Amino acid sequence: MIRLDDREIPWRSGMTVADLLESVEKAERYAVVRVNGHYVSRPHFAATRIPDEAEIRLIPMIAGG
Amino acid sequence: MPSLSFSELASLDYRRPEIEKGYANQTLYVNLSELALSVKPVTEEMQRIFVGGRGFDLWLLWQAVDETTRWSDPENALCISSGPMGGTPAYPGSGKSEVATLSPLTGSVMDSNVGGYFGPYLKFSGFDSLEIQGKRATDTVLFIDGIDAKIQLLETAGLPNNAYALTNMLTQHFAAGKPRSISVVTTGPGAKNTRFGCLNFSWYDAKRKCARYKQAGRGGVGTVFADKGLRAIVARWEPVALDSNRPADKQTLKKVARLHSQEVVQLDPKQNEMARVGTTHLVPIMNDFDLLPTHNFRYGQDSRASLIGRDVFKKLFDPGFDGCWMGCTVACSHGVRDFVPLTGPYKGQKVFVDGPEYETIAGCGSNIGVFDPFTIMELNFYCDAYGLDTISVGTSIAFVMECFELGLIDAQHTGGMELRFGNRLAALELVHQMAAGEGFGRIVGQGVRRMKALFAEKFGVDALALQDIGMEAKGLEFSEYMTKESLAQQGGYGLALKGPQHDEAWLIFLDMVHNFMPTFEQKAEALHWFPMFRTWFGLCGLCKLPWNDIVPEDNADTPEPAKVMKHVRWYAQYFTAVTGRKAAPDDLIAMSEAVYNFQRIFNLRMGYGTRAHDKLPYRAMGPVTEDEYTSRQERYDKQLREKHGVDITGKSTAEKLALLRRFREQQYEELTDAVYRRRGWTADGIPTIATVRRLGIDFPEVLAVLAKHGVTA
Repeated sequence: MIRLDDREIPWRSGMTVADLLESVEKAERYAVVRVNGHYVSRPHFAATRIPDEAEIRLIPMIAGG
Repeated sequence: MPSLSFSELASLDYRRPEIEKGYANQTLYVNLSELALSVKPVTEEMQRIFVGGRGFDLWLLWQAVDETTRWSDPENALCISSGPMGGTPAYPGSGKSEVATLSPLTGSVMDSNVGGYFGPYLKFSGFDSLEIQGKRATDTVLFIDGIDAKIQLLETAGLPNNAYALTNMLTQHFAAGKPRSISVVTTGPGAKNTRFGCLNFSWYDAKRKCARYKQAGRGGVGTVFADKGLRAIVARWEPVALDSNRPADKQTLKKVARLHSQEVVQLDPKQNEMARVGTTHLVPIMNDFDLLPTHNFRYGQDSRASLIGRDVFKKLFDPGFDGCWMGCTVACSHGVRDFVPLTGPYKGQKVFVDGPEYETIAGCGSNIGVFDPFTIMELNFYCDAYGLDTISVGTSIAFVMECFELGLIDAQHTGGMELRFGNRLAALELVHQMAAGEGFGRIVGQGVRRMKALFAEKFGVDALALQDIGMEAKGLEFSEYMTKESLAQQGGYGLALKGPQHDEAWLIFLDMVHNFMPTFEQKAEALHWFPMFRTWFGLCGLCKLPWNDIVPEDNADTPEPAKVMKHVRWYAQYFTAVTGRKAAPDDLIAMSEAVYNFQRIFNLRMGYGTRAHDKLPYRAMGPVTEDEYTSRQERYDKQLREKHGVDITGKSTAEKLALLRRFREQQYEELTDAVYRRRGWTADGIPTIATVRRLGIDFPEVLAVLAKHGVTA
């Protein structure tokens, strides 16, 4: 099981950030996610595997500067 | 060095007014040449049209100068203001000061905002704004003592040369045992010897028992300060409370302040952790999206970026509360304790480094090919202490490093320095030279625009080549974001009033990453709304970070997530609660629009402010060199084929480079047209009569400027 913001989601072996975001509404709004405290940007979503029991946050990255 | 001394040149005892709904309703005028100190009233019209902060600065500056005034003339005024909400301790980000003057870099109006306690202390001492004209040949300190209601101009001797020591010394000297009651504005020797001097605005860090500072960095405001003979301005005030602004509706203020403050506390740890890492979180993210400038904005990515990003500075920053204004829960002003420089006057000594922030990391790091956090911290420390803007320093050094690598200049020009990207010691040496006004650093300190002219004229370098890679517009060096793949951000930089600085419009993510604005019209709309709303923070004495760097959890489900409308509504309530002036979100935009257009016309009055001044170097729009093209060949080939319908079969890189350039330059022109239309400007970028009438800035002198440029009813 992994935790995405405040909800629990079943974990499966080999699951990537990109896989996870397929189940998230308006996933295109999130260019960055935090996996166990480490920030992962969209270019790395498909290559970043999520470990079991991971804590994941969707970062609404719209600002800066 | 002579012993420390202060002798009074002039003084003014004044009656300190009660602050009323966020306003002191008067400004302080200082003339250094005439040793004159006086108090001017704030009119109802000034409040209604210019609101405060940057708006007040611009209005005072407009009256102080005429179209012939140059930055170093005694008539040029340096204006510093808070704003009606400035100094509210409960609402995050409410301590900004706004600075405006004629710039040594651009020749036109410059505005720069900064944290620290000065603006609020100035206002609570009885002045919405401070306006300084004239010059002194000897070192001068202006002391604004709000507690004893007395202003003093002091001739000084024996002050330390750099801002680091100077700020701490003056804090202790004027504190009367209460250093938290002091805020000092200082610069350093680099401000006098370059055109991009910054100003440091301090606050006292009670936990670390030292004065800290933030920088009004852009456009050489510190150079104007130093040129006037000022060494420091000191404000003394206490106490500060929610009542200090005497808000119109304290209960609503408390309520909305609590909502926003608590949201920041709750969500920042889940989002960007700015209270822990400041803006350093941007470094790896920008790098991942090919947006972190490296090697003079050639590329947006480098495999070494992780060495200078958030994870590194999370370990280096001294933990603790780091708000640059009281009670700000964003608290992003981090620093490094016990840093030991390897060079310069503080070599081998422990110092506190205020920063670095993202811009300094990118400017004095990746963009000059330096991926060593310790060199970045040393550059950061000395730039602040010398009074140099880290952005202009970084972009200027990046430019000369590229010129050196391309063979456009050589060691004969640089005084023997091998100015290759990544040469850390050369970068540090240049900064020390800039401060001393010596060697090649003296030339670099003139900024990119003047270096381009000098290299062409004196060194015989191809002026067009220099124009393509010299990252300045309007004379101001670019801040540290790659814009090649974001047309909207090209407009955000090129169509900004003062030059390419991100505080007016930062649209990269919205445009390039989220694709929120695919059409010219949508980009133009964004280049209307976002600069206007960002301007509004400057009118009110506020920091924009709480608006959209921490966003509500349901923001993505709202109709316009980019605008974070929940927070915009809170800001409207905040404004009304303090000033008593009814305001909805659209009213905030209208307030800014008036000031924004006034500033555009001010540029016009000073000989700028038309389409010719909104051009960008091509490096900001696309690949200049074949290396840049081939490094992202798949991207560029695809764009030529699919977006522009070009058959690229058999075409050389040089041919494709030229084609892409033609398309991209054309796109920028089309965007410019769309933005001018949206803003109510002529095709030459001048506000129309209808626009100034709609905004209520159709004063006779404004209409005269427009008429002089052929814009009539």
